[in-house]
Amino acid sequence: MSTDQLASLSRVLYSPTTLALYLGAAFVYLYALTTTVGRSAERERGRRAQRVGAILAVLGITTHVAHEIVRGLAQERFPLGNMFEVTSLMALVGVAGGLAYLQFVRKRPELNGFVLLGGALLLAMALLMYAEPGPLQPILDTWWRHFHVSLLVGAMGIFAAGFVFNGLYLLRDTAERSVAAARTATTRGSTVGAAYVGDLDTGDVPTGSSVAAAGGPHGDGPDGEDPEGEDPDEAAERAHAAAYRAALRAGVPAVKLAVGVFVGTALVSWVWLVEADTLAAGMQRFLTVNLVMVAAALLARWFVPFLPSTATLDGLAHRTIAFAFVMWTVGVIAGAMWAEQSWGRFWGWDPKETGSFLTWVAYAGYLHARATHGVKGRKAAWIGVGSFLVLMATYLVANYVIVGLHSYAEL
Amino acid sequence: MSRIDSAAPPEANPLVRPPDRPDGGDGPGHFVRASVVMGWRWMTRMRTALYLLALLALLTLVATVVPQQPNVPGTVESWLAGSEGPGAGISRVLGLTGAFDVYGSAVFLALLLLLFLSLTACLVPRIRAFVRLVRHSQPPLVRSVGRTDLTAHLVTDSSPDEAHAAAAALLRDRRWRVRDAGAPDAPGRGTKPAQVAAETGLWTREGGSLLFHLSFYVLLAAIVFGQLLTFEGQRGLVEGEAGFVDTEVSYWSYRPGRWWGEADHRGWRMDLDAFHVDWVRDPLAPGAGQPTTFRSEVTITPPDGEPYPAVIDSNQPLVVDGMKIHQLDWGYSPRLVVEVDGEVVHDRFLTAQLGDGGAFYRTAVKAPGADPDVGLDVFLYPFAPDGDDGRPQLTGAPWDDAPVVIVSQYRGNLRLGETQQTINELDTSGLELVGGAYLRPGQTVEIEGVTVSFPELRRWVGFQVSDRPQIPWLLFGSALLVGGLILALYAYRRRLWVLASPEPGSGRTLLLVAGRAFQRPQAFEEEHARLVAALADATGATPATPVAPDEPPQDPAPAGSAAGAGAPSTR
Repeated sequence: MSTDQLASLSRVLYSPTTLALYLGAAFVYLYALTTTVGRSAERERGRRAQRVGAILAVLGITTHVAHEIVRGLAQERFPLGNMFEVTSLMALVGVAGGLAYLQFVRKRPELNGFVLLGGALLLAMALLMYAEPGPLQPILDTWWRHFHVSLLVGAMGIFAAGFVFNGLYLLRDTAERSVAAARTATTRGSTVGAAYVGDLDTGDVPTGSSVAAAGGPHGDGPDGEDPEGEDPDEAAERAHAAAYRAALRAGVPAVKLAVGVFVGTALVSWVWLVEADTLAAGMQRFLTVNLVMVAAALLARWFVPFLPSTATLDGLAHRTIAFAFVMWTVGVIAGAMWAEQSWGRFWGWDPKETGSFLTWVAYAGYLHARATHGVKGRKAAWIGVGSFLVLMATYLVANYVIVGLHSYAEL
Repeated sequence: MSRIDSAAPPEANPLVRPPDRPDGGDGPGHFVRASVVMGWRWMTRMRTALYLLALLALLTLVATVVPQQPNVPGTVESWLAGSEGPGAGISRVLGLTGAFDVYGSAVFLALLLLLFLSLTACLVPRIRAFVRLVRHSQPPLVRSVGRTDLTAHLVTDSSPDEAHAAAAALLRDRRWRVRDAGAPDAPGRGTKPAQVAAETGLWTREGGSLLFHLSFYVLLAAIVFGQLLTFEGQRGLVEGEAGFVDTEVSYWSYRPGRWWGEADHRGWRMDLDAFHVDWVRDPLAPGAGQPTTFRSEVTITPPDGEPYPAVIDSNQPLVVDGMKIHQLDWGYSPRLVVEVDGEVVHDRFLTAQLGDGGAFYRTAVKAPGADPDVGLDVFLYPFAPDGDDGRPQLTGAPWDDAPVVIVSQYRGNLRLGETQQTINELDTSGLELVGGAYLRPGQTVEIEGVTVSFPELRRWVGFQVSDRPQIPWLLFGSALLVGGLILALYAYRRRLWVLASPEPGSGRTLLLVAGRAFQRPQAFEEEHARLVAALADATGATPATPVAPDEPPQDPAPAGSAAGAGAPSTR
């Protein structure tokens, strides 16, 4: 096959193939998540859906890997030479690593949908930076570079998964807090009646809702037996559980979430406004990125009632970020070693180095915050979310906005 | 266990330490002492460290967005002039606040100092506690197993003492710290049930965390001493021309550390034999115009040895006697001969540098030997083939297949030594433009009585020579940092208790295996199951169903019998 054919094959493998497979798998998994609160027949359907999702996800990862290989063949080098390739590999590591971790280590496959959705978003973002396959400057084509860049890109992908978990944690926590606040309000500030969610809108249905308050009736385990299965008041129970879910969902104000996500994304996506040739083109990209992120956040909001407990989400975020932090640390050190080898100085505070250091400091702040009384929990999760914004902003800024300072065109 | 909650008001927290001396009354001495104590306490708080980290992030953010003087002095200049960036007014304010040199600013230095102070203040009590722990702590004995503990029940034919011994041996094998309190007179047991208590992971986790934080001192020391001991010099060499000797005077730019002395130079000699550079020349090929090769062939002559050839490549510096030689820069080197009234006033290779925009190389001829001075502003276009009109068509291509030199001749006063000027630029304030011409290699032209010839084009390379004795220490510090980090994040502290007690009536022994993890509960759940299985193996035990799973035995003789088989009951 000629180079051109390889290039167009790699392009097709990437989009639409991989993108569609990730999105498809994400939606199948998200559907499966909603069945975890249903009757056993429904849950059986959910389990089948999870199997379908797994097949789609594995197919997606396969076509993604195939894309990387074909692209590598087309340009006869390791595909880690520009923004598109870096972002694409970041998505691959995030999806493959995140799914493997959820599936095999944490045994929580019901959350796979969110990781796949995040991966699909990254994949789509990489398309904004698409570049045709091409050779690499000689100074870049070394073993050092592949080692250093792979580590950092892998860490970025896993940080992205950690960001997804932190975001879900904040959504779930906000929902639970506002439900708890509503309860406290209906009982005039007394927490005595707080155990009864029934006050909300289904009338007075006394239930064992301390279970519900702790994490949703069934949200915490897909395979857990339905404790109310034999209950004669099953219908009332179901109605009550549905009301609780509705209350949780309503607990996250949609408009505030949309505006918040738009502004938060804008902290990163302004780069496209600056970078584009014309204001109209820049505005188009800026709005596309922001609105897609808002849509994803609103979609995630819909699934808030089906999320596991905040403690689980917090733990997931912490473990993923801790893993990525180690990778990032090693990657930055490898970068310094390569800089000493290539440029004759190990650290020069150029924008890339400064950016990677800033990201390191931000995530170090997250890890410390999680160990600090009065900061851990919600505030720490916000620091985690902010750290990912710092990561993405420095990644884009150091490549697009301050272009020229870190140019490889000269020796 | 009392916990200090830094977010809560002081009265809600127990006193950390009772005041050990009576109130010293008032007066300046007391004020100073109280301030120091307060400052130190403030420094020991994690919250302070978080604020300082946030401040560090903020300063770094500024340094990412605002161009930095040491990196890109040109960009800073154009910011200050207002031709780039947010405008001259804002840039002046930025300059006053030190934003153009964040890492050299007093604010950054002060922050670094505070960070290390806070680190020290956090570490001192932690190290003391750690040492105490390693020396004295033993796994605590339990009176009863808590509700949050993982439990499993086994039943075996071995005696309780044998079961305890087997458990202790098993855990010691796995490098747990074991406290065997099976005997009634075991120290510290009192009325607690017979048990084997074990703990592991705390030293590794806390030790790893301490190692991670201590590595910053190693890194800091390496950086500070490195600044003092290091040397960095730059020197350009033209292909085939005479090289240079590693001595203080032969470098064009010379940046020694404070403790670097003339005697530290090694005295080798380096000559540039050839410099190879190439590009993707096909304009339609992907990556067109990108360079593909930078390679210098040099000859090194040690001070008391035979010359030997060596190669310096883009990612392969040459190490000579501990000093690293890198290629830093390169350019074309036209040889220009200038004659005035039959007398040669200039004949040497120039070192032209890539000009703004990258389409041409620029240099200057300064000939003060003529009267008045001759100055030539030289532009070199490496690839300028003849067009249809017979004149060179200037292209931006960097390969020297059709080089042309464009000179503008100035006469007057070069003001050498009077004004600051680089070797590749003329100060035209005392000069007058008299004419111009272009030359191909081998050509000679006459401009207003001055003969300029261009016999030959070569290349020059700017080399950086550096000696950095701190590198091994930096690597050592980095290894400590990464190793400590992995331990601190992946080691986890957990305790295990094995309580063996005779089963009334049957003569068999009941085993309760309880465990508690302080971090990573998921990982411990699996480990606990493995330990229970290993213990069952070692004592020939089978899983037992306890009668009251939520009421673990309060004393060595639990009521009821539970010999039935079933799945090991974990909580």
